[in-house]
Amino acid sequence: MNAIAAAGYLESLLAGQPHLPAASPALGWINELRAEAVDRVGELTVPSLRDEDWRFTDISQLTRLSFQRAQALTPLLPADIERFHIAEASNRLVFVDGLYAPRLSSIAADSGVVVTHLTEGGAEHAALIEAHLGRHANFGNNVFAALNTAFLQDAALILVPRNTTVSGPLHVLFIATQAGVASYPRCLLVAETGSAVTLIEDYVALQEAAYFTDAVTEISVADDAQVSHVRVQREGTQGFHIANCAVSLARASRYHSVSVALGARLSRYNLNVLQTGEGAECSVDGLALIASRQLADTHTYIDHARPFGISRQLHKCIVGGAAHAVFNGKIMVRPGAQRTDSAQSSRNLLLSDKAYIDTQPQLEIFADDVKCTHGATVGQLDNEEVFYLTSRGLSDDVARKLLTYAFGAEIIERIPVASLRQQLAQTVLAQTSGQP
Amino acid sequence: MSAVLQNLVNQPYKHGFVTDIESDVAPRGLSEETILMISAKKQEPEWLLDFRLKAYRQWLTMVEPAWPNVKYPPIDFQEISYYAAPKPKKKLSSMDEVDPELLRTFEKLGVPMHERAALAGVAVDVIFDSVSVTTTYKHKLAEVGIIFGSISEAVHEHPELVKKYLGSVVPVGDNFYAALNSAVFTDGSFCFIPKGVKCPMDLSTYFRINTEGSGQFERTLIIAEEGASVSYLEGCTAPRFDTNQLHAAVVELIALDNADIKYSTVQNWYAGDESGVGGIYNFVTKRGLCRGVNSRISWTQVETGSAITWKYPSCVLLGDNSVGEFYSVAVTNHHQQADTGTKMIHIGRNTRSTIVSKGISAGLSNNSYRGLVKVAPSAEGARNYSQCDSMLIGDRCSANTFPYIQVRNNRAKVEHEASTSKIGEDQLFLFAQRGIGAEEAVSMIINGFCKDVFQQLPMEFAVEATKLLGFKLEGSVG
Amino acid sequence: MIYQDSRTLLEVRGLRATVSGIEILKGLDFTVNSGEVHAIMGPNGSGKSTFAKVLAGHPAYTVTGGTVSFMGRNLFDLAPEERARAGVFLAFQYPIEIPGVANSQFLRLAYNTLQAQRGKDELDPLEFDDFVREKMKLLEMNPDFLDRSVNEGFSGGEKKRNEILQMAILEPRLAILDETDSGLDIDALRIVSQGVNQLANPESATVLVTHYQRLLNYIVPDFVHVMEAGRIIKTGGKELALELETRGYDWVGAEHLEQEAAGRVAA
Repeated sequence: MNAIAAAGYLESLLAGQPHLPAASPALGWINELRAEAVDRVGELTVPSLRDEDWRFTDISQLTRLSFQRAQALTPLLPADIERFHIAEASNRLVFVDGLYAPRLSSIAADSGVVVTHLTEGGAEHAALIEAHLGRHANFGNNVFAALNTAFLQDAALILVPRNTTVSGPLHVLFIATQAGVASYPRCLLVAETGSAVTLIEDYVALQEAAYFTDAVTEISVADDAQVSHVRVQREGTQGFHIANCAVSLARASRYHSVSVALGARLSRYNLNVLQTGEGAECSVDGLALIASRQLADTHTYIDHARPFGISRQLHKCIVGGAAHAVFNGKIMVRPGAQRTDSAQSSRNLLLSDKAYIDTQPQLEIFADDVKCTHGATVGQLDNEEVFYLTSRGLSDDVARKLLTYAFGAEIIERIPVASLRQQLAQTVLAQTSGQP
Repeated sequence: MSAVLQNLVNQPYKHGFVTDIESDVAPRGLSEETILMISAKKQEPEWLLDFRLKAYRQWLTMVEPAWPNVKYPPIDFQEISYYAAPKPKKKLSSMDEVDPELLRTFEKLGVPMHERAALAGVAVDVIFDSVSVTTTYKHKLAEVGIIFGSISEAVHEHPELVKKYLGSVVPVGDNFYAALNSAVFTDGSFCFIPKGVKCPMDLSTYFRINTEGSGQFERTLIIAEEGASVSYLEGCTAPRFDTNQLHAAVVELIALDNADIKYSTVQNWYAGDESGVGGIYNFVTKRGLCRGVNSRISWTQVETGSAITWKYPSCVLLGDNSVGEFYSVAVTNHHQQADTGTKMIHIGRNTRSTIVSKGISAGLSNNSYRGLVKVAPSAEGARNYSQCDSMLIGDRCSANTFPYIQVRNNRAKVEHEASTSKIGEDQLFLFAQRGIGAEEAVSMIINGFCKDVFQQLPMEFAVEATKLLGFKLEGSVG
Repeated sequence: MIYQDSRTLLEVRGLRATVSGIEILKGLDFTVNSGEVHAIMGPNGSGKSTFAKVLAGHPAYTVTGGTVSFMGRNLFDLAPEERARAGVFLAFQYPIEIPGVANSQFLRLAYNTLQAQRGKDELDPLEFDDFVREKMKLLEMNPDFLDRSVNEGFSGGEKKRNEILQMAILEPRLAILDETDSGLDIDALRIVSQGVNQLANPESATVLVTHYQRLLNYIVPDFVHVMEAGRIIKTGGKELALELETRGYDWVGAEHLEQEAAGRVAA
């Protein structure tokens, strides 16, 4: 795509921006943040294959289409979204085409946690919001994070006070209902010292036409706090999904994430985890299960900035049809981050002749007393395993489907929410047994 | 870092002297006139001049690669002299007529130019600055049909072969430095092993940069016809200058059906001093084409020198069942920067590749492995195994691993593993507690770390490589 | 075992040592005679492991006071490898992994270095292989361990057995076993203990550093010492270990304080 078309594209996306209502007086700085983001969008260009960060993901099919921000909330009844409910979740925030839908949301009265959104509960927690919102997800060099920030309006806010353990996961559900719409989901989770919480970030669609989701999530985990983050991307088959998530881990905090990418015609997920305190621990697991002409790109960056940090990563791709999976996982060990212990693994299964994969696990190490390993494999099912199952009477076809399912299930099993785990296991089973 | 480690990794550079010899040095700067001048000096045929000009015009449109993980001030390509050659007293017909100063230089470097003094069974082509000064065992090799000598000679004596293969693996516009080399290369080695011939001795090229301010742009072309095999060695040194010198070589290997080429390098260009002043910029394109079925190309490199190394000896596995191998030890110290690795391009069916890379960083150096494994849709049954290990000595250096894995065939299998280890106080204490001194402990750890690569080197080179690392061999080289 | 005609191997007087400027050993006294088995017990952080490492000469520890003589020589005059060659052996609590260095290669180099020191013949790889396989039987170790890199990918129990194998090969005069029992299951503990017992002889001595009594069911000590805050505060026979197991360490500390107070009053 040429530069002129790209510039025009960003302009057309920005068109809806100036009509946003002003934030409340206590949050006046947000208007400045938005203005700054608008300026930045003007300076940045749409990434192309020439950018090292985007060299395997061609987004020209996205930039050929034009999208507008939703003007009105699609009237949905609770029954319309019932199938997306997660039994264990006592708190549910629902956004329809990027706009907050209070009648579909349900917030528990006293779960000890603040669950709100920017326009409604922002003023009350202004100081905390100011300390975190827009502070973790840097948009200086990221046009999609800048666009999202330019449209910052209905952000989901979850504030977990000191030493509070939130029972049951918090479900933030983003629903796409309109064709041609660009939505800018935004989520901020602040887990204060010693707290514990599970967040489910869920992207679904009630339609099959083209639309564009440009999401940003920021998660701050204070000393000794623990966050489990489950991310399910099950967008519509014609959807475009680009998301940035920035996580900041303080001393001895723990962050466990499982991201599952199933939907969208094209998806890109950037997850940046920064260990800012000593002895922080994270596990970052992912599964991309795609087929037909889908493209799923996951870029993760785990930054060990302090000593005694631990990271574990297992990322899997199961690619069928003529789909294309991309994985780029960088582990950075900064000078002085001694005794870092990091293990990263990228495992990939290609199910058809036309499917393909680009994987890049990367280590950058600037400290000498560290233990870092990474590995990557691309291949097909292990013939020994297939043989073992067939020797016990299973047909070759059934054996392969079973092993393919098991390959994906290893990630699904790491989801700490039983009902969601079962739901996704069913999805994986359906999709893997439907494969040729 | 302990004092013992310091001493072990900080061996002084032993090849830093300058030979006082009268040289024919071209004025600095690059233009079409420079290329015409080089071509005229070498009395080249027109097709070769066209090749150079095409490369030069393409080079003008290209930019230096920005993706390597190395930092250096911009290079002024007009400040480099593109031709430097020792002035021959007269036309050489035998070794006895070589300038005695040159003979002494290479003797000092441990490179024998006299056949009678040569290492048993190694033929050497010696390149001084930009030209080949002598080739040993040339006639003996000719008896079995092997052509071995400088590429300048080959251009005149075997134009059909050079014309057929030059640029066939690394096209003129392949990358910025390959284009530059194609435009201005002055000499290099040429080697042709005819059908069915197993080369009876190791062939070797020794490269020496002598003149300050000159770049070295040599071009090596090795062809192994059907069923032929050859083992080729390359060594490099340069004097100590405070200015950086550019070395942009191109090596092309072609293996036809059932042919086998083994290419080993011990690279010890001047690396600059402890504070990072001076040293060679080693920006090299090396690529082998396994054109025939069952062919094999194996690269082994021990990289200890150069201020900056940017080099990815690669294999294009076109023939079915062909095999590519890459074994590398890269050692960096002080302010050295290395971004090195390989590319394995699987195109043929059942092609196999192995990558074993060992990076050792010390001082303030930066050592990166960058490797591409690409499996094309046609590469049914392709297999790759990569292992990339890093060792850090001290806490101010860095080690990076950047593997790129691109698979377009679902019956291929690609595996990559990497790990990091260190030599530190605790490791040395374990050895000391069992009665083993630090020097021996470091030697054992380093040799253990590198043995998978050293095992691939011909014996003389293995000894040379181990000496270079400044460590004793202690039975770990098989 | 306590022998009549034993000689003093190790004599520690008023030993003080620091790590990163923090004093860990605060005036420790300790004597070992040949043939004896000593157990040093004490809660975590009492300085047991530090004591073991200081004796072996770990560079992270600085000796700030006191004397240690080993077979009549000043131990602090010797570099760590010289101490090892003189017969001081430390079985590490956390044996580290050395990728790329084969276990057999490492063991042979260590053994031959010591043989040369003792003025005895070195063994070639084949002779050594026979020798080491015999020793491995003692510890019920699989000979495959010889070809693997030193401790790399070994389980915790395998690493500990590998430590005792080194002890069997080097035949030290003073073996210090630092928490050798931690992380071992009962079978491994039995095998390791058997090995240690079989290696015991009237010429040499063993110091067990542990905080569980469990090990002492298998290796019976002649003396049990309790360490706290960088000093040995109580010494008794093997029955002291059982008492510690049932009553914990607190009472020893309290008793020690009382004695000290009484001492001050008496003075």
